[in-house]
Amino acid sequence: MTTPTPNSDGHRPSDILSTLKRLGFGAVVAVPDSWLGEILIRIEQEPTMTLIRATHEEEALAIACGVRLGGVRVALMVQNAGVLSMGAGMVSLAQRYQFPLLMLVSYRGTLDDPVFYHLPKGRATEPVFRGIGLNYARSDRHRPIGPQIENAATCAEEGSCPFALLLSREDIQW
Amino acid sequence: MVTNARPTRAEYYKALADNLPAQALVVTSLGNASYLWAALHHTPENFYFEDAMGLTLPLALGLAVAQPKRRVIAMEGDGALLMHLGSLVTIGAVNPSNLTILLIQNGVHGASGGQALTNATLDLAALARASGISHAENLSQPDSLGERMSSKLRRDGVDVLVLATEPDLEVVRPPVSLDPVGTKQRFMAAIGAPRYVPTLFGGGMLAQT
Repeated sequence: MTTPTPNSDGHRPSDILSTLKRLGFGAVVAVPDSWLGEILIRIEQEPTMTLIRATHEEEALAIACGVRLGGVRVALMVQNAGVLSMGAGMVSLAQRYQFPLLMLVSYRGTLDDPVFYHLPKGRATEPVFRGIGLNYARSDRHRPIGPQIENAATCAEEGSCPFALLLSREDIQW
Repeated sequence: MVTNARPTRAEYYKALADNLPAQALVVTSLGNASYLWAALHHTPENFYFEDAMGLTLPLALGLAVAQPKRRVIAMEGDGALLMHLGSLVTIGAVNPSNLTILLIQNGVHGASGGQALTNATLDLAALARASGISHAENLSQPDSLGERMSSKLRRDGVDVLVLATEPDLEVVRPPVSLDPVGTKQRFMAAIGAPRYVPTLFGGGMLAQT
């Protein structure tokens, strides 16, 4: 199902970007947080990719649906708080129309997140995901991240649905 | 008889249908925005919103980015726009020249029965300009819309046309199924969008068929 990420030097954010490029992702739609900030700049510099910076995560979700409707493979990069605030669009647009969307989500409010005010969002994240029927997985920091990205993208496409991969700071912060 | 009545949605839609640019892709908001357009001009290249109020413009933006050679026309209402005003800012920042936004300004939440808006008299064209969209203006006549749609003038950037409209609260029955997945699949097939090849068949990527 997966192939190794070429030229991986163990830098997980680099592996995420190279995997997206290899899989033909032509666009990323994002609302940044402190972990996502630098990788978004790198994506912006990629000649084969378009970065769209949205003002709100539900808006970002709809932009991503439009990009995919137009035939371009697209990833959504947001914080977990952003997924909490896109619930209506998730169920009535992305899931209802069965858009395959790869969602790369910074998982704030976990035990290894030093910022205390993210804790309430961390506590609510997975119960809310389950409640709205959003397919998801947590990344495994002990395994290479590239194949995990590819598996999540495959689940989105072959399940015809959004699929969220919850990422740790080591995964996504450049 | 002199009247101050605003044109109806149907009058604007007829002007649009009569002057629709070649190969245009049309994205319509929920309710009569979709039902009436389906009744007047159903084609596979229409994408109808079933619900998801306020998300028509961002979806149309994404489509315009993905299909830069096709004209994308988005029909949205003033109430739905107010739910996601930030989308105007994003559209102004990306500013794709192939995107035209038609805003029905009828002053009510029509799809949910005609409830009053928080503010029914905003200058939405001025709001669009303040959001970074250079070409935005208020129209009050269907003929003006027809002229704008048939114009060969190519603008640099997004075009926003705010259409002063009478509320239409009677639900129009669409002549075709607006099943969401069917709508999406019909649309993507019509534009020749690449299809995903499953990993079982050695794919895992999008491929042109």
